[in-house]
Amino acid sequence: MEKKRLILTIVTPERTVLADKPVDFVTIPAVGGELGVLPGHASFVVQLKEGFMHYTEGRNKELFAVLSGFAEIHGNKVMVLAEAAELAHEVDEERARQAYQKAKDSLAIRGADLDLDEANASLRRAAVRLKMAEFRRRHKM
Amino acid sequence: MASLRDIRKHISSVKSIKQITYAMKMVAAARIKKAQGSILAARPFAVEMDRLIADLYRELGEEDLSGTPARELFEERPAGGPLCLVLVTADKGLCGSFNTNLLKAAAAWLKENRGRKICVMAVGRKGRDFLRRLKGLDLEIKHELIGVFPKAGYVHAQLLADAIITLYHAVPVQSVTLIYNEFKSMMAQRIVTDRLLPLKSHISGAAAVRPGGGDFSFEPDKKELLSALLPRHLTAQLYRTLLESQAAELAARMNAMESASKNATELIEGLTLKMNKTRQAMITTELNEIVSGSEALGG
Repeated sequence: MEKKRLILTIVTPERTVLADKPVDFVTIPAVGGELGVLPGHASFVVQLKEGFMHYTEGRNKELFAVLSGFAEIHGNKVMVLAEAAELAHEVDEERARQAYQKAKDSLAIRGADLDLDEANASLRRAAVRLKMAEFRRRHKM
Repeated sequence: MASLRDIRKHISSVKSIKQITYAMKMVAAARIKKAQGSILAARPFAVEMDRLIADLYRELGEEDLSGTPARELFEERPAGGPLCLVLVTADKGLCGSFNTNLLKAAAAWLKENRGRKICVMAVGRKGRDFLRRLKGLDLEIKHELIGVFPKAGYVHAQLLADAIITLYHAVPVQSVTLIYNEFKSMMAQRIVTDRLLPLKSHISGAAAVRPGGGDFSFEPDKKELLSALLPRHLTAQLYRTLLESQAAELAARMNAMESASKNATELIEGLTLKMNKTRQAMITTELNEIVSGSEALGG
C-alpha cells in the first residue's frame, strides 16, 4: 500500500508558491511555537508568525520563509495562506545582504520622494531572507 | 488657403503625436499581460481566504462573537452616522473615459448621500484631485494612495486596509462603499459600486457546507483567529480591487491609444492629400504663368 502523504499548498496574494505537492512532513511556525505535521494530523487552523517552514519529501528537504499568515490542516491537506513566502534556494544571501543594506540606507536618508512603507517592507523582507540564509548554512541544507 | 509649409508642419506634428500614442499603446499592451497574470495569481489566495473565514464563521456561534473586535466588522451599524467612500481611480489620464465614468459614478453617489458627513479614501491622483475640487459638501479625505499604479502590490492594499479599519474603529461610520472599475475584458470595463463593510452580507452568502468538516482545533482560539483573519480578508479584497482597476486602466488606455493612433493615421492621410493637391495647384499656376509669359514675349 502506498504510504500516506500530505498534500501541501502554499498561496500568497501575489502568487501560488506550491500547489498540491505531496510531502511527508511539514513544520509550520505557529504563533504558539513550531508545529510539526505528519499525515493523519487532526484538523487544525493556526495563525502563523514570521519564520521558517520546512517540508520533507522522500529524501529532499526544502526550506521556506513565510511572513505572517494562516495555515489550515484538514484531511491530509495542508493549506498555507501566507502574506509572503519564499523558497530558500531562491534566496541569494549576498543579494539579500545588499538589499538589507540598501533598504536601511534609504530609510536613514529619508528622501522627499521616498516610499516609506515600501522601504520598510523591503527591509523586513530582506531581514527574513538573511535569517533564512544563515539558517540554511547552519543546518547544511 | 493654407500654404504648403503650414501643411507640412501640421503633418509632422501629427506624426509625432502618433508616435507617442502608438508607444503608449504598446507599453499598455505589454503591461496588461502582467496585470492579468497578477489577477490570476491573486485569485487562489482570495478564494481560500474566503473559504477559511466562512468555515470559521460557521463554527463560531453568534454568541461567541459578541464583544470581540471581529464582531464590529460584521455588525450592521445604526443609520445616520457618517459614510465612507473608497474611490479607486487611475493616476494618469489618456485612458479614454476610464476616469470620467468613475468620477461620474462617484458624483452620483455623493449626490445620493447629500447632507451626510462623508469620509473618503482616495486611490489614484485623478480621484483625489476631483474630490479636492468639490465644494459645498461635508467631505473629508482621510487617506490617499497616490502613484501605486501600475505596480500595485499587496503592501499598498495593506496600507489601505489599515487606514480603513482604523477609521472604522475610530468613527461610527455606517458603511464603507467601494467604487472602482472592474476588468471585464480587453474591450470593456464595468463600474462597480460595492459595500466593503460591514462584512456580514458577503460572508454568510459564501458559506458552503463542507462534507466531513466541523471538528477543527484552533490556535489561538477562534475569536482571536477570526479577529486576525478579517483584516486580512479585507486586505485581500482590496488587493483584488487594486489589481482589477489596474488592469482595467491599462485596457482602457490601450484602446484609447489605439483609436488615437488610428485617427492620427487618417488625419495624416487627409493632410498628405491636401498637401499634394496644393503642390499640384502651385505647379499648374506656375506653368500657366510661364507659358503665358513666353507667349506674350514671342507673340
